[in-house]
Amino acid sequence: MPEIIIDDKKFTYDTPGKVLPFILDHGMDLPFFCYHPSLSIPANCRQCLVEIGTPVFDRATNSFKTDENGEKVIQFFPKLMTACSQDMSDGMVVKTHVSSEKVRRAQKDTLEFILVNHPLDCPICDQAGECPLQIQTYKYGPEGSRFEYKKVHKPKRIQLGPRVVLDAERCINCTRCVRFTHEISKTYQLSIVSRGDKNYPSTANGKEFDDAYSLNTVDICPVGALTQADFRFKARVWEMNQTPSIDITNGKGTNVDLWVRDNLVLRLTPRHNPHVNDYWMPDSSREAYRLFNENRISRPEIKLDKELVKTSWNNAKETIAEIIEAHDTKEVLVLGSGYASVEENFVFNQFFTALGCGKASFVPHVVEGAGDGFLLTDDQAPNTKGCELLGFRAHTNRTFKNALAKATVVVVLAEDIVGRELANAEDLAGKTFVYFGTNNNTTSKDAQLVVPITCAAEHAASYVNVDGRIQRTFAAKETVYTSRATNLEMSTGRLDRFGTKFDNWRTDKNKVDCLPVWEFLSELAPRLNQTLSYETGKEVLTAVSSSVDAFAGVDYDKMDTEMGVVLSTPETEEKTA
Amino acid sequence: MQINKIMSYTFDKEDLKQIDAIKAKYPTVQSATMPVLWYAQDKFGHVNAEVQHLVATTLDIPESHVHGVATFYTQYYKKEMGKYVLDVCTCFSCQVCGGYDMLHYIEDKLGIKAGETTPDGKFSIQEAECLGACGYAPMLQVTNDVYVNHLTKEKIDSMIDGLKEDKLPEYEEILPPQLISKD
Ligand code: SF4
Ligand code: FES
Ligand code: FES
Repeated sequence: MPEIIIDDKKFTYDTPGKVLPFILDHGMDLPFFCYHPSLSIPANCRQCLVEIGTPVFDRATNSFKTDENGEKVIQFFPKLMTACSQDMSDGMVVKTHVSSEKVRRAQKDTLEFILVNHPLDCPICDQAGECPLQIQTYKYGPEGSRFEYKKVHKPKRIQLGPRVVLDAERCINCTRCVRFTHEISKTYQLSIVSRGDKNYPSTANGKEFDDAYSLNTVDICPVGALTQADFRFKARVWEMNQTPSIDITNGKGTNVDLWVRDNLVLRLTPRHNPHVNDYWMPDSSREAYRLFNENRISRPEIKLDKELVKTSWNNAKETIAEIIEAHDTKEVLVLGSGYASVEENFVFNQFFTALGCGKASFVPHVVEGAGDGFLLTDDQAPNTKGCELLGFRAHTNRTFKNALAKATVVVVLAEDIVGRELANAEDLAGKTFVYFGTNNNTTSKDAQLVVPITCAAEHAASYVNVDGRIQRTFAAKETVYTSRATNLEMSTGRLDRFGTKFDNWRTDKNKVDCLPVWEFLSELAPRLNQTLSYETGKEVLTAVSSSVDAFAGVDYDKMDTEMGVVLSTPETEEKTA
Repeated sequence: MQINKIMSYTFDKEDLKQIDAIKAKYPTVQSATMPVLWYAQDKFGHVNAEVQHLVATTLDIPESHVHGVATFYTQYYKKEMGKYVLDVCTCFSCQVCGGYDMLHYIEDKLGIKAGETTPDGKFSIQEAECLGACGYAPMLQVTNDVYVNHLTKEKIDSMIDGLKEDKLPEYEEILPPQLISKD
């Protein structure tokens, strides 16, 4: 196998590649700015300079030259080389700052140049704390600056597009954002304008940076030049905790991270998954934070005199039990949803079928033309495939209307049937309607009983994307009944670890009074002489995988280690269902 | 003479033929950006936002790219300019040889500042960086074309009088000192 020697250590490699990613993949550090593993390599920042040498080949003897100790003679390139653009070759010798004074000097000098016109505004810059320029200046930069003159001023607070704000003074012209629009989103909206110390990225005259993926440029910008319009100045990065999750705004199952402070999701960023979304996510998916924070149903609600009023959990359970006892279970319509997880749908169906109700069905939410062949899908729900694989009948809007007309009791999980215009107030009039939901909406308004359930940010549960890959979320927000301190799967930020209940950044007001579907139904079960007892999504999934063929062999550990698991195809499933 | 304000910018049949000929010289259309911008500037006198848009749509390349190229080079005029653009060099060599004196003389003479255009649309003045003629400092360039070297006030007077009658200054041949015959 070919080998490469980095700072006197020998490594072998089997796939050819560049020096920089090899160094980073092997746990060593090398500063860089412009390189990005999924973009082309312009080698323009010059921060990754290293010394590189290769063994000398003697054509006369047709062998490598050796010195008196029998070691191969290495000839170094006269100038430092950029590790990001340098292909590895057999016998190559690389010296980074670890072993080369020349490289250390180059890293310092490059940083001094980059910082000549860079504003020293880290204390008010959103990027501070997750800024490669800041980190690398600390680690490899000069102690101070010899530049004592007025810095070049450039446009600030430029609203490049509806979602992205540019501070041109902070830009180091790495062109990552430009390359993103050329190579990934292919809108070609950005280009570097002007030249010399005055240049910065911009759209064409008067054009908006309205790329459906524009916010990815904010993620990959190695400085605070590009910031997200609706996250600016909301939080310092070290105040938030970061939790892996799954996008719930369409069927792609884009892997995301939720950034939470005081139990509010403040932003979503993409999480690398080469099988699904690589490093990217659509702008629209970042809007999900609103669903998690705003307009949540907190505490059960019951309709009295046409008004929904808060009620106790005990009353909610008792009400459902009474409804079931008062009706023929054959007349109960049980509606699952692609907007809820596999676990929720499974338990929901299991509970009601055990009472004699018919199997749960759902109404897929597909908008033709909404997809773009990349990370947006026609399918609007995150778990349509999951419902199919659970064997739920997929209604069309019309068959749903018919089923609804026949029912006297309607129990709906998560689906906003009124908002989606699957049903209106008249269709529901005269029926007993129970809604299990996360957010107040037109559907919850029409219900007689509203049961608040946890959202994807509050429980660990799994979703099957359009390609049949099952992936799961982690709890990121505490509810009234969960605690970061005791649920060891929940991540903690500095404020969570070191803050106290009495600090002004910690409140209880953002905790929603809601329960996971499985927990609520497990508590309700004994009242209706049922045995059902699940405490966690993990337990539910174990039950799913042992009772539904499509999910056989799937568990949370497997999903976690393999970045999701591809289930057997729906075609084969439908035949056996 | 007033320059005609062109209200909408289009390329006619002949222009498109020329542009096709330019395109044919390069392996990719993108490479034709610079010569086509030149072509457009020759036709319209400048490459403002609308002209950049026209070039981009004509070549069917991203407008941001055309904008990036146009803003990179100071020789492309991003706004409407006077008929004659005087690029007065104030870089190192010209500066020590009186470049700023020459610039200020022209400014006073035309009654405008660098970066401005006379109300009759005849002259614009720009402050330029080194134009590679340091040996003949101070100097200026007329509309990306003729260099006027070894500037003096008299030379400027006669140049401007000439330009008012649309007479461009002559190209000068300046030999290196060792070749200038002493007799
Ligand atoms: S805005 Fe950021 S990503 Fe874009 S060129 Fe500047 S530093 Fe690079
Ligand atoms: S990472 Fe920018 S030059 Fe190598
Ligand atoms: S400094 Fe004026 S031409 Fe070089």
